[in-house]
Amino acid sequence: MNKSLYILKRLGLGIPVVLFGLTMSFLIMYLGPLDPVLAILGRDATSADIRQLRIALGYIQPDGTPMPVWRQYGETMLNLFTLEFGQSWIIQRGVPASEVIANRMPATLWLGFWSVVIALVFGIPLGLYAGLRSNTWGDYLASGGGIIWRAMPNFWLAVMIAGSLSAGGALSWYRGLGIETDVIGTPDAVGNLFTMVELFDGVPVLELLFLPIPDLRNMLIAFKWILPAALVLGSASMGNEIRIGRTAVLESINSKYVETAKAKGLSPRRIVVKHVGRNAIVPLLPVIMGEFYLLIGGSVLVESVFSINGLGNLFFRAILGPDIPVVMALVFIFVIIQVLMNILQDVLYTLIDPRITLGETQE
Amino acid sequence: MSTNTASESDSGPVFEYDDRPIWSRVVDDPGPAMRWLAVAGALIAVELGAFIGAILTVLDAAFIGVTALFDVLFGLVGLGGLATGVVNFQSSVSGAITGVRDAAESLPTLLSRETIPNQGHMTGPDGPWVDTFLGLEPALAWAIRVLLIVAYSLFAFYWLFQGWLVFRDNYRQADWTPSDDVVDRLRGHRWGQFGIFVLALFLIMALFGPALGPTTVAGNIQSPYSNEIQHFDEEAGEVVTITAGAANFDSKSKGAGDQNVGPMTYDKFERFHPFGTLPNGRDLFTFMMGGARITLIVAGIAIGLSSLIAGSLAMVSAYYTGVVDLSILTTADGIVSVPRLLLLIMISAVFANHWIANVLDGGFLLALIFGFTGWPFLWRAVRGPALQVAQEEWVDAAESFGQGSRTIMRKHMFPYITGYLLVYASMSTGGIIVGLAALSFLGNGLGITPPTPAWGRAVSLGQTYVAGPSWHISFIPGAMIVVLVTGLNALGDGIRDAIDPESQSDEGEEAAAGGGA
Repeated sequence: MNKSLYILKRLGLGIPVVLFGLTMSFLIMYLGPLDPVLAILGRDATSADIRQLRIALGYIQPDGTPMPVWRQYGETMLNLFTLEFGQSWIIQRGVPASEVIANRMPATLWLGFWSVVIALVFGIPLGLYAGLRSNTWGDYLASGGGIIWRAMPNFWLAVMIAGSLSAGGALSWYRGLGIETDVIGTPDAVGNLFTMVELFDGVPVLELLFLPIPDLRNMLIAFKWILPAALVLGSASMGNEIRIGRTAVLESINSKYVETAKAKGLSPRRIVVKHVGRNAIVPLLPVIMGEFYLLIGGSVLVESVFSINGLGNLFFRAILGPDIPVVMALVFIFVIIQVLMNILQDVLYTLIDPRITLGETQE
Repeated sequence: MSTNTASESDSGPVFEYDDRPIWSRVVDDPGPAMRWLAVAGALIAVELGAFIGAILTVLDAAFIGVTALFDVLFGLVGLGGLATGVVNFQSSVSGAITGVRDAAESLPTLLSRETIPNQGHMTGPDGPWVDTFLGLEPALAWAIRVLLIVAYSLFAFYWLFQGWLVFRDNYRQADWTPSDDVVDRLRGHRWGQFGIFVLALFLIMALFGPALGPTTVAGNIQSPYSNEIQHFDEEAGEVVTITAGAANFDSKSKGAGDQNVGPMTYDKFERFHPFGTLPNGRDLFTFMMGGARITLIVAGIAIGLSSLIAGSLAMVSAYYTGVVDLSILTTADGIVSVPRLLLLIMISAVFANHWIANVLDGGFLLALIFGFTGWPFLWRAVRGPALQVAQEEWVDAAESFGQGSRTIMRKHMFPYITGYLLVYASMSTGGIIVGLAALSFLGNGLGITPPTPAWGRAVSLGQTYVAGPSWHISFIPGAMIVVLVTGLNALGDGIRDAIDPESQSDEGEEAAAGGGA
């Protein structure tokens, strides 16, 4: 099947999925036993205020009759799909929800970036190593570690790591290195990473070259803020990668084409990179793509332990608020990304392994 | 099924096949059954109260589940009055069951805290101990009780399995069934046996929780001020009586200096704490035992519910395919498209003040949410095997004999997918346990309602003390979750290798346990 036609078809099939996810969230948030009006107005609200606010939020019509559910639903969906996310009710009252989200996005993206990097950089090589040296002590250590790593609850790991790194903890020796900041708090995404060396009467010389200079001390501090949280967030997928990488390597290493390659006299390095690695990536792909899914769910817990003011924390506070426009906007974004990632995964399959044709991978 | 003709044929292997009901086979050869029953009877007799209690707990949960479903149904069709009636009926019957259960659990049993007490006190500065088992010090008395309970339970589990062997060797209709090979392969699978052992240990915690702790959830955690203890007061120079609550107040683990009661130590009131105390002075071991019960009940209901939904939908989608399959796929993808923990937080926050959040201390609602959001993973996993079996010739044959679709699914498809369902169910149970702990950790009305013990809440209570001497509060509950989840994954691996020894598949989906929370 033609690639662009296939992608269009998948996008079309994604629409009902997005609709279903959003409808489910709508039913829970709007029809469940929640009363945001009282949460917004507080205890000493007059009934006139309550009535006015209910009209403003679209719960009842100006004549006092309740707004029909289908109209509330239609309006909510229309607003979401036209990217009109409305204004925050509680967290930052009156500020557009999109702005509230955009403010917290960088911290979570930064965290997610590093946790994916950590999971990939440690997980896949460890898995390949365990598979290539199967049934050695190194294998037992790597795969046993992967099994336990996978079973550890993220929130517990986060509490343990944050505790050991803080003053008096088991790992607090690093504080002697001159980085005495805490690990708890919102990491700075890029703001403090770079300094401009000012020369020539205040004209930053590197700015002329359009190149920032990294500030080493600030960089160390920034890494220390982000790495423990990222390690925790990436841990679950890292364990999966070790496990699945190992099996995938074991499966391909015993196959005929590897023997052929050996017989042809290819160097072991070339066999591992070209033949084993490439085929081992195929079963790893869903795990790597699934990381995104784990990141969103896990970020709620990790951000709450490390006090990072990101999207996970925002979602949690918006739910407790209840700040329904922010919740719906976040769910909308998450669901859209999730569906797009699924399509991307199937397209990537064909790039890695040309034998897989589009349209058959829908299973 | 119909009668067997294999034994009458002249050629081919001859199968023994006995068509009479099982009791007549037992009457013919009562020896093995009687021997097995004698030991089983003795095992039950010494622990009668605990057994009745366990059965009534399950009955209570099932009853609440069924009535809650009726209530929701009546509420949906607008019969508000009827729904309230159901709720009243439910609370009265459930109350009655709880009463009988409490009475049953107070029956004297061999392995109870009454038979082997550990809550004694010293009569002078250096002993001797009174009110403890044989005058031993509390730690020893407690250890003896725990060892006996674990030994008893492991033997009881072994005896159940032995019962199946007796049935298989002496009384079963068929000489051989495919499940025999599965069991035999599992008997040689060390990793899978580790999983079974871990699961058995945690089941023991849930069943014998009240007897395992050095004190009780009711006396130490739920109403400590209505429970009195005695201890030798060095300043007063005599034995004094105070409430458990007052003793808890002076046994807090808050890290600094003398404000810490660590694992395997005594507090100032001569109470032994195997896991130390919580920041509010309550016993962590008792807390964990109480938490095991609610955790396993919730995880059990949830995984049962999602296996039921996933299994039936997998059979339906594989049997009918086409539009039915596509619509189930869209529903499943729609549920999965919202990250599960977010969905869990969303639903439990919305229903935090609803009456359903009071059933089983919030556990019932959580079990329902986990059940209804967890089936898509299981469904995806067993849809493949279900599609395979739907294309088999015996299904075609059954169709041409005029068997109905429901009969075909139940008799020909279900036995085939059960094994796979077990594998994936045991692996996703780990995810449910971690998710449940995560919700209790977040608090704010999510998770199990305090003061009912929940593992995640213990982690959250100890969060600020990890760096100091009170590290045990957060560490131990998490480590127990790690062991349980590892065990469940091992069990899943074991069953998979046993049902399909040639499979080397470690597909992505099954590796979900623990992730995201």
